[in-house]
Amino acid sequence: MVTVTIDGHEVQVAEGTNIVEAAGKAGIEVPTYCYHPGLSVVGQCRICFVEIEGQPRLVTACSTPVADGMSVLTGSERVKEARAAVMEFLLENHPLDCPVCDQAGECYLQDYSFEHGLDTTHMVDERRTFPGFERRLIGPHVVQNQNRCIQCTRCVRFTQEISETSDLTMKARGNHSYIDTFNSEPYDNPWSACAADVCPVGALTVKEFRFRARVWHLEETPSICPGCSIGCNISLGNLKGIVHRFVPRHNPEINGWWMCDYGRFLAEGLNDRDIEQPSRADAQSEERAEMSWAEAIDEVARLIATGSDVQAVVSANLPNEALLLAKKVLADHLGARVLTPINDGEKHKIKNAQRQWIGSVDSHANSTGARLIGLPTGDQDALVKFLESSNGPLIVLDNRAHPWLATDAAAAALKGRPLIVLARTHTPLSRHAAVVLPLASWAETEGTYTSSTGRVQLAQRAFFPKAGAKPAAEALLLLGARLEAGTDPNLTPRAMFEELAAEVPAFAGMTYRRLAGEPGVPALGFEEVAHVG
Amino acid sequence: MEPILLRARGETNSRSISTYLRLGGYGALKKAFIMDPAAIREEVKNSGLRGRGGAGFPAGVKWGFVPQDSPKPKYLICNADESEPGTFKDREIIHVDPHMLIEGIIIASYAISANTAYIYIRGEFVEEARILEQAIAEAYKKKYLGKNILTTGYDLDLYVHRGAGAYICGEETALIESIEGKRGLPRLKPPFPAVVGVFGCPTVVNNVETLACVPHIIERGAAWFASIGRPRNTGPKLFCVSGHVNRPGVYELPLGVTFREIIEEHCGGMRDGKALKAFIPGGSSAPVLPADKVDTAADFDAVAEAGSMLGSGGLIVMDETVDMVWALENLLTFYAHESCGQCTPCREGSDWALDVVRRIRRGHGRPEDIETLQRIARYASQGMTICPLGDAFCGPITSFLNHFGHEFEAYIEAATPAPRKKLPILPVRSGRGTFGL
Amino acid sequence: MTPVHTEPLQVTPPAEVAEVHFDDDMEKRIREILKRYPTKQAAVLPLLWMCQERWGWTSPGIMNAVAERLELAPAFVEGVVTFYTMYQTEPPGKYLLQVCTTLSCQLCGTSGLVDHLKERLGIDFGETTRDGRFTLLDVQCLGACGEAPIIQVNNDYYTELTPEKLDQLLDELV
Ligand SMILES: Cc1cc2nc3c(=O)[nH]c(=O)nc-3n(C[C@H](O)[C@H](O)[C@H](O)COP(=O)(O)O)c2cc1C
Ligand code: SF4
Ligand code: FES
Ligand code: FES
Repeated sequence: MVTVTIDGHEVQVAEGTNIVEAAGKAGIEVPTYCYHPGLSVVGQCRICFVEIEGQPRLVTACSTPVADGMSVLTGSERVKEARAAVMEFLLENHPLDCPVCDQAGECYLQDYSFEHGLDTTHMVDERRTFPGFERRLIGPHVVQNQNRCIQCTRCVRFTQEISETSDLTMKARGNHSYIDTFNSEPYDNPWSACAADVCPVGALTVKEFRFRARVWHLEETPSICPGCSIGCNISLGNLKGIVHRFVPRHNPEINGWWMCDYGRFLAEGLNDRDIEQPSRADAQSEERAEMSWAEAIDEVARLIATGSDVQAVVSANLPNEALLLAKKVLADHLGARVLTPINDGEKHKIKNAQRQWIGSVDSHANSTGARLIGLPTGDQDALVKFLESSNGPLIVLDNRAHPWLATDAAAAALKGRPLIVLARTHTPLSRHAAVVLPLASWAETEGTYTSSTGRVQLAQRAFFPKAGAKPAAEALLLLGARLEAGTDPNLTPRAMFEELAAEVPAFAGMTYRRLAGEPGVPALGFEEVAHVG
Repeated sequence: MEPILLRARGETNSRSISTYLRLGGYGALKKAFIMDPAAIREEVKNSGLRGRGGAGFPAGVKWGFVPQDSPKPKYLICNADESEPGTFKDREIIHVDPHMLIEGIIIASYAISANTAYIYIRGEFVEEARILEQAIAEAYKKKYLGKNILTTGYDLDLYVHRGAGAYICGEETALIESIEGKRGLPRLKPPFPAVVGVFGCPTVVNNVETLACVPHIIERGAAWFASIGRPRNTGPKLFCVSGHVNRPGVYELPLGVTFREIIEEHCGGMRDGKALKAFIPGGSSAPVLPADKVDTAADFDAVAEAGSMLGSGGLIVMDETVDMVWALENLLTFYAHESCGQCTPCREGSDWALDVVRRIRRGHGRPEDIETLQRIARYASQGMTICPLGDAFCGPITSFLNHFGHEFEAYIEAATPAPRKKLPILPVRSGRGTFGL
Repeated sequence: MTPVHTEPLQVTPPAEVAEVHFDDDMEKRIREILKRYPTKQAAVLPLLWMCQERWGWTSPGIMNAVAERLELAPAFVEGVVTFYTMYQTEPPGKYLLQVCTTLSCQLCGTSGLVDHLKERLGIDFGETTRDGRFTLLDVQCLGACGEAPIIQVNNDYYTELTPEKLDQLLDELV
């Protein structure tokens, strides 16, 4: 550790830390464009100039490591002058089309030009343009406007160092250099949209988000990606109960600063809902009859009582709290046989901040949690066998717990059984279920998930469930109360998590506070479980 | 002064190894091999030889920066990129006496314990690359290169690496990137190439002319070399003279000769009897000097004192007919074309300055343009950029404005408002390869 | 003016270099080149040169083949190709007329040459004559300013040119 002084504040940082990071530790932001903590340092944009006391020349903070006893000034007159000059150079050719730019609100150029720029620009000459590169879809997800590019090469470095696809490059040179792919072929890799994330200006933007909303209107909620077992940290952007986007949220141990396109573009799917209220099948017609939750829970209790061999399918996409309740209410109290189906799904991978790849083990956000909590798991064959082994009532939490459940085959196989299904959107199975309960979406659910690397992480609720929907845990609490399972019907997610921490050894000692402060809290004894699982 | 670097000029078959051997060539190498590498470094240091590539850094000192205890292989690179406008001396050495260069390379490599050396030559020099390849082949045949050179146990391989059209690759770290197969973007320094150079290994980069001096220093001693020229500015120097003189060309003269002597005595005076208006003393990046500085001594320190630099020794002579606004526009066209584009001040500044000067010359200047140019020159230089290319175009801007500001003002006074649209660009900025958008 | 006979470029039409393979001779040459450097990447420039000599220009197919041979991303190779001005990314004419437009040459009469060339050939910089004979390019200082004005035709320097000498030269270039 070395001690440095930044604008008079002393901080201790590890040797080799650069001045940008050291200043950040002192709570001081040094403006940067080309520097990105997840990418190599190139020191190209020159906006991060700072003064080291006693040194005649300004240095770029991103490329200068601190030394013990160093005293750095980030706002001296000389620094301000240099920064204003760099801003002026950058704006000299920048289109200043902020009103129609998608990056507005998230643009470092816009931010810093307020803070560090000059009020007048000396530029009277025509700005540089790149005809043909001004609104170009360069791949399935990314739109390019080269006129806005500030040649920071972050996107190029992303594809070289993180995605390892090296599909973006800087072509030509000097003031006319521009970003392109080989032979202008589509820019398509599994993480392609991250190139737009790292773009500090509006030169690369995400097609799916273009013109959807102004960034500053969005409400951002810390969440976890629902796409697979890796558990990338995301920020869920929503506006008035509509999910507009996922963007990666930094977690050094899991996803670094990144996420894959597959996960990212699940965002809009969260808005789908065709089940708004509890309903029951109507013997007379195809139409389902809506009812209240109270009626629905009564009906569920009645159905459960109609048979002896009760089964439950519990989704590995549900948070730890719901899984624990499923175990307590359905397995332990009711004596139902429970299975958590596991679908391997498409493989995904992501790089953490140490640039190690983490691969998905299955397509569920919480299969590890299910195992740690002690729910039996099985693949599709096991699921089919499990379901064949009984004719009794079946509780499905939820109808998309496994892709097979969503098929016509599943609906046919389970025809005639008393079916209770939690669902947000209909599948063949839910259309004919005796009772359907509206399930809250990922964005409407607060809960913790355990990643396949054994890290427990919190996804916050972005907004209250719409219509009559409830998170699975709440539905289980209502059912538990109705069945006198001894569960407290008023438990908050936080209290449920405390219960989990108290009761399940793998979660011992965990608190919400720790979840907020750590990059996922490692589950105890996880290695063994992973091995067994 | 007796010719040293160009002693073979005029010999028939001057490039062949037999001519070189006849003139005593590769004698210095034999002498060097019985010296300790450290002693060679010391000798070169004592000779006062300063780099001839532009920066004038003492060669022996640079060699001393190579960490001798490093377990990594070491490399020597000969910089034959010669792209600074007004400079064409390295080409002359290659044409006249390639073996002198090769001998210098071998001695320098031995002095820094390098076993591989590259000559990075600009892509346009196709013939020169061929000359070098041929000379290298001869040297291999005679066992001056390869394994166990002259049975000393010392190995050295020497390869020619061709550039492909980029001035910036003359800058030593851009050159290194280019050898590594990348875009020629200058690196952040530190680390300096002597510590982390090509392929991550200690590397010395020296100019052709610098290396060509080395055999002479070894053969005739540091004291002899230091006796030519003036203290701190020792040795012979090749001056390349171009522009409005009667006999442009490469002249080998001791450092310290005055520019007047060069122009009037060696180059036969001004062409068509016109008067001298201005001269650029050290390649286009050197600040321009007005005619009244023509008695300045042509050495590193004296030229610096006069407000310019000796640079590569490329003297560009301009007579009274030259429009200095036009001349600056021409130079800025070069720099805007050659800026690598990675750092903001140079990339934007070079192009912006060009736009402004071009507009002035087209008769649409504005009073505030002068200040804009001064601001650009101030903020695209002096440590604001990654490499000295920023300084290389800012020096001209500042000096043209200082000495010939009245010409810019005259244009501006006679100006009409600029049309809204950009005029077609003249002369065209480049072949379609680079700006094919 | 250097008394040489400049060979025309053998420019392969785009369709024939959409995909290229290295023959045995080229492979042999590649192995020689690779021996010079500790990394494969360092062979990018030499390989591109070899290809441009063979096929007359540097098509995307060539960049791809070079990338594959050196285990690099094609986009990386294209980034390198376009950084340098001498790799021709479009098929040029048989003779590349590369006119130095930098200061020393301009002081010695380049603009007269350029006007003459443009008029005689009916093309501007960056263009190729209809008959595919000439491509006119403006280039920066060629490092031979003492013999200004200079035009590099393919690999050869033609120095101290005048419009008359230029006419004579153009007549010879068939
Ligand atoms: C933009 C730029 C271009 C340069 N071009 C050349 C060049 O063409 N030839 C050269 O020898 N040095 C050139 N240099 C200087 C080199 O960076 C380096 O200082 C030199 O090769 C060192 O050799 P020396 O010490 O023998 O002079 C250039 C420097 C800069 C900043
Ligand atoms: S100063 Fe110019 S040439 Fe040098 S690194 Fe910066 S942009 Fe490139
Ligand atoms: S952030 Fe430091 S130079 Fe760009
Ligand atoms: S200016 Fe034309 S060769 Fe140097």
